[in-house]
Amino acid sequence: MTGFAEVGGSFLREQIRAPLNLVLLVAIPVFFVLIFANVLGEFAAALGGDLAEQAATSISAGWSAAFLCGALAFFQLNSSREADRRLANAGLGPWRVAISRIAAALALGVIVSVVAYLTLWLRSGIEHPPHAAIAIFLFAAIYIGIGALIGVLVRDPLSGSLLIVLVFSLDVFSGPSMTSSGSFATTPTRDAADLLIAAGVGHDSPSSDWIGAAAVALAGLAVALLAFWLSARSRT
Amino acid sequence: MTQELPESAGAEARRHASDRRSVLRVSGLRKSFHRGLPPRRRAIEVLKGADLEIHEGELVGLVGENGSGKSTLMQIVVGLLKRDAGEVERPERLGYCPQIPMVWEKLTVAEHFHLFAEAYGLDEGTANRATDALLEELQFERYRDFRVEELSGGTKQKLNLALALMHEPELLLLDEPYAGFDWETYLHFWEMSERRRNAGMGILIVSHLLAERDRLDRIYSLIDGRTVIE
Repeated sequence: MTGFAEVGGSFLREQIRAPLNLVLLVAIPVFFVLIFANVLGEFAAALGGDLAEQAATSISAGWSAAFLCGALAFFQLNSSREADRRLANAGLGPWRVAISRIAAALALGVIVSVVAYLTLWLRSGIEHPPHAAIAIFLFAAIYIGIGALIGVLVRDPLSGSLLIVLVFSLDVFSGPSMTSSGSFATTPTRDAADLLIAAGVGHDSPSSDWIGAAAVALAGLAVALLAFWLSARSRT
Repeated sequence: MTQELPESAGAEARRHASDRRSVLRVSGLRKSFHRGLPPRRRAIEVLKGADLEIHEGELVGLVGENGSGKSTLMQIVVGLLKRDAGEVERPERLGYCPQIPMVWEKLTVAEHFHLFAEAYGLDEGTANRATDALLEELQFERYRDFRVEELSGGTKQKLNLALALMHEPELLLLDEPYAGFDWETYLHFWEMSERRRNAGMGILIVSHLLAERDRLDRIYSLIDGRTVIE
């Protein structure tokens, strides 16, 4: 366990030491919650949806955590692929490397979620604080999976970044109350978004939303673990 | 520079090679890479039955043109790449210094030693002693707390080499290990290698150009996917 903590701690430090990451950690939640929320509401109206201002503000905190965690997971995998393989091959093994990477990604997810949560709280207050905190973290966990999956499939940083933006855009603009049609009801963050919107206005959510969001988040983390393992093991 | 070498070292090693335990035996190694998408997908056969043997206390070279498959052979021996066919017998305790340093830019030199000590299963005391000794031997002690991104190419390469050595492997695989070294460090590298060879370590050095042929016990050339002893 000490070994995992030490290796995971090193991987976390590696991410936090990038000055741009620290700036983005604050800038993206601020941008999303303070500016993007209004734009999101206007887009929703244009697309025939009925996303209210408070709901848009709440959901923006989730989107900021999702975007940051997706991008960080992608670059964590993309920039460390060769060194991770060497470490795994030296005796640590691909599973221990993958678990340490997941631990670092989750720690980053918690930091990102806390910043997003605080930004939301300062901007508009939160009617149901624990629910909102969990929902924001579920966004983060889901996008750790998406970012790591893209990282293992796409080696080119530019192509990978664009693919994350594409998936993210599709997910955002097909979210709850964004359109008049229900054609995108199965997007990855649908249940987490419903939870966050409800938490923002102080409503409880049905258990099906909790189960759905938790299942997708766990699946996301399982995908991320597999992606980090694939990246650290021997190649054919 | 080669005149400064003890002439007898290589010859003696050659004489007694057959008496010594083999630390690496590669036979009939085959490897192809598949590139492109259909209908332009094609297989590139890099290794077509390569053989190679290293005994303990031997310093062996592997040369070949660019793209001849030297690094591929080495990565298969290390376990980073899977082989299509053939046999590889190698010890568990193996050190590998890749051609391009596989390190984390944002971590310090000391943090790299910690991570690899964990991977090699070294206890804290052994890891600290090995770290101190290698930092001194390769003369980069003052960079202990520097991040890799702050190091020069040569110092980064010293770290790359030191990470392969810290658990005193039975077999050491070096892929173009002296790229970026200045002349003094280059000479020092050969002295280090010979010390370890004399202590019983088996060492394989891969290079497209081996100027120090007299220092080696044997040289393999990789030609058209097969090894030939020079």
